Amino acid sequence: MAHERNVGGLTCSEVLSHLSDYLDGEVEPATRLNIENHLRGCDVCERFGGHFSAAVATLRRNLGPAEELESEADARLWQSVNAALDE
Amino acid sequence: MKAGDRAAFTRLARRHQASLFRYAVSLARSKADAEDALQKTLIAIWKSAATFGGRASVKAWMLTITRNSVFRAGRVREAPTDDEPLAALGQQAGWGNENPEELLQRLQRIESLERALNELPPTDREALVLRDLEGLSGEETAEVLGLSLAATKSRLHRARLRLMARLTEESADGS
Repeated sequence: MAHERNVGGLTCSEVLSHLSDYLDGEVEPATRLNIENHLRGCDVCERFGGHFSAAVATLRRNLGPAEELESEADARLWQSVNAALDE
Repeated sequence: MKAGDRAAFTRLARRHQASLFRYAVSLARSKADAEDALQKTLIAIWKSAATFGGRASVKAWMLTITRNSVFRAGRVREAPTDDEPLAALGQQAGWGNENPEELLQRLQRIESLERALNELPPTDREALVLRDLEGLSGEETAEVLGLSLAATKSRLHRARLRLMARLTEESADGS
C-alpha cells in the first residue's frame, strides 16, 4: 500500500471505496462527515479526490451531449425503420 | 406515446436516437453493428410501445431495449472479468502518489477523456455512458444493466478509476 492513514475516523482505503458515492451525493450524512474530515486532514486523498471529481465533472459536462448521426447513416436508418413499420 | 401513433413515435425516436446510438457504439464491435442494433431498437420500441406502462424513465426503457438489441445480435465485444482489488485500481489511477498538476490539466482536456473512454472495456464504458453521459440515476442505470444497485455502483466506481488510470498512464508517457 503506497499510502494509508486513519484520519477523521476513516482510512484512506475506506475513503477510496466511498469516493464515487460521495461524488454522487449517495452517502449517509455520518459517512459524508467522516469523508470530509478525512479529506481535510489528508492531503494525498484530498488531491486525488479533487482529480477524481474533476475527471467526472469534465466527462459529464463536455461529453454529455450525444452527437447526432451523420446524415447518410440517419437516412439509412429511417429508410429501414419506415420500411419495417409499413409492412 | 400510444401504440400506433406514428408521428409521436418518430418524434420520440429522433429525440433520443443519438443517445441510443452512442450507447450501442459503447457495447458493439463496430459502428456498423451499432447502426444495425439501433435499427432493431427503434422497430422494437414501436412494437412494444403499449407495454411501456408509464414507467419512471422513457430513456432508461429505450436504453434497455438498445442493450438487448446489441446482445441479441451477439455483437458485443468481449470483456475481461473484473476481480482486481480496488486499492490496486486506485493506485493505477494515481491514488496515494504525488500527482503533478499536468495530470489535472489532462483530466480536464476533452480529447484526452474521449480517447481514454474509448479505450476502456465495454462493461466500463457502458456504465460511464449511462450514468455520467446520459445522466441516468443509479437505479435507472442498474435497471438497464440488469444488475443490483450495489453491483452497479461497484462497476461504475471501477470504471471511473480505470478511466483515471488511462489518463494517468498518458500523463506519465508525456503523450
